[in-house]
Amino acid sequence: MKHADIKAAAEALFNEQRNPFGAFSISSETHHAVTIPDAVRRCRWIAVDINASAFGLYFVSPSPERARLVPSFDSDYPATAVATKFIAGANGEEMVRHSGTSTAPRWWADDGIADSDAVFQNLAWAERAAPLAPGTNGIAFPVHADRGHCGLVVFLGSTIALPEDTLYEIHARCFSLFAAVARIRPNDAGRMRSISKRELECLKLTANGNTSEEIARLLKLSVHTANQYLTQSTQKLNAVNRNQAVAKALRLGLIE
Amino acid sequence: MSSPAALLQSDSLGSRLASRGDLTTFFMQLAAEIGADSYMLVAIVHDQDRNDARIVSSNWIFDAIELIGKRLIAGLAQGPLTVAPGIRPKPLVAAAAPGAQGLITGEEARLLDVLGHAEVYSLRLNVGRQRLFALFSAAEAGKIDQPALMKAQLKCCYALSTIPQLIAAAAMQDPLSDRERECLFWVSEGKTTDEVAVILGVSSNTVNSYITHAIQKFAASNRAMAIATAIRSGII
Repeated sequence: MKHADIKAAAEALFNEQRNPFGAFSISSETHHAVTIPDAVRRCRWIAVDINASAFGLYFVSPSPERARLVPSFDSDYPATAVATKFIAGANGEEMVRHSGTSTAPRWWADDGIADSDAVFQNLAWAERAAPLAPGTNGIAFPVHADRGHCGLVVFLGSTIALPEDTLYEIHARCFSLFAAVARIRPNDAGRMRSISKRELECLKLTANGNTSEEIARLLKLSVHTANQYLTQSTQKLNAVNRNQAVAKALRLGLIE
Repeated sequence: MSSPAALLQSDSLGSRLASRGDLTTFFMQLAAEIGADSYMLVAIVHDQDRNDARIVSSNWIFDAIELIGKRLIAGLAQGPLTVAPGIRPKPLVAAAAPGAQGLITGEEARLLDVLGHAEVYSLRLNVGRQRLFALFSAAEAGKIDQPALMKAQLKCCYALSTIPQLIAAAAMQDPLSDRERECLFWVSEGKTTDEVAVILGVSSNTVNSYITHAIQKFAASNRAMAIATAIRSGII
C-alpha cells in the first residue's frame, strides 16, 4: 500500500476532528472520553502524517531517584515493540535528563543509510542525540501535561518526512495527545470516595502551612473536628499521612 | 516610521538564543510574524495563597503594567483562557469581556482596550519542567493569526529551551538541590524521615537537614507547606 493510500484509508476510518491541525479543543467531549486504543489510533494518525513506521508514548517516571521512561503504548499495541525495550531501558536515561530542562525535539540517525538524516538536519530547533533504539532513525518530542505529568512521544522510521513548518504542528498534536493520555492514566480519582467541601478546606489550609490548631481557629471548629476532617480525607485519598494527602490532592487537582 | 521589530531585526539570530537581547529580538520578531502588537513573558511565583507574576520579558508600556497590575496579569496568565500547546487558543476580547469570562471587570477591560490590548491571548509554555506563560495582544480584535499563534507557541518553547539557566533564574522556581528535591519527593509520597533515610542510604539526621533546608528555601512553615509549594511550581 502506498503512503497516500494508507493516509486516505486512515482518513476514511478515523474521521477525526482535525481543527485547526488535528488538535482538538479542550471543551470538546472527545477530550474526556478518550481510551488507550483511541490514543493509539490518534498517535498512528500522526505517524502516518509524517510517514513514520513506528511510534511510542512514554511517561517520565516522577521519581527523581530513577529517571526513566515508562511505556504507555507503542505501535505494536497491545503488545510491546522491541524498540520500546531499549527506550524504557538505559537508552532513555539521557533523554529523560534532557526533557527536564528542554522541550526541543531530539533526533537520531543510526540506520546506516546515507543521507537519511537530511530531513532532520533541516530542523532549526531540533537537536541531535544518541540513538534511543539502535539501528533506527527517529525523533522524540518532549511533552508536558497538567499536574506535572511529563513524557515523550517517539517516532521511528527511515523515511520520516518532516518539514520545518510541520514540526510545530506535529509537536502540538503530541502535546494534545499526551494531555489526553495523562488524564486516563490510572490514578485514584475513579475509585475515590467523594471528599467533602469541609475536608478539602482543611487540606488546602494544611497545604498553606497551617497547623490543626490554626485551621480550627480559621474555620471556627474544634481542634478535634479539624483533625478528624484531615484523617478522613487522608483515608479517602488512600494516603498514609497528611503530607501524602496534601501531595495527592494537589496532583489530582482537588485543591489548587 | 520603522517598527521597533524592524529596528531590532538581525540576521545573526539563528536557532539559538544567547542573551537577554536575543530574547527580546526573538519575541519582537515572533509578535510581528503573527500579527501581535505586544508580548509578555511571565513566570508565576507562588506565595501561599497568592500568585504573583514575575515579568521576564515584555514590550508592554510601563504604565500599562502598573495600571493593570501584576495580580491581574497573573490572573490572565493562569485563567481559563490559557491554553497548553496543541489546544486551539481563545482570545480575551476586551470589548466583550465583562461577565463573559469572569476574569476581569468592565473597568479593567476598558483599561486594557485603551492601552492597546483589545485582544489578548494567553499561552502556556513548557520549558522542560519549568512553566511560563506568554501573553500576545493586539490593538484591534481579530488581528492575530490563530494558526500562526499555535505554531509560535511551540517555537517559544524551543527558543526558551536554549537558555535554561536564564529561564530558571528568571522564574526562580527551583531553588532546591538534587538531594533536597529527592527528600521532599519521598516525603510527599508519605514516607517518614527514617524511611527516606533507608531509601537514599543516608542517616536520618541528614534527611532532616535536607528537608529543613528545603523548608527554609521556600519560606514555608512546615513540611506540608514545602511539599505544596514544590508541587505547585512543578518541582516534584
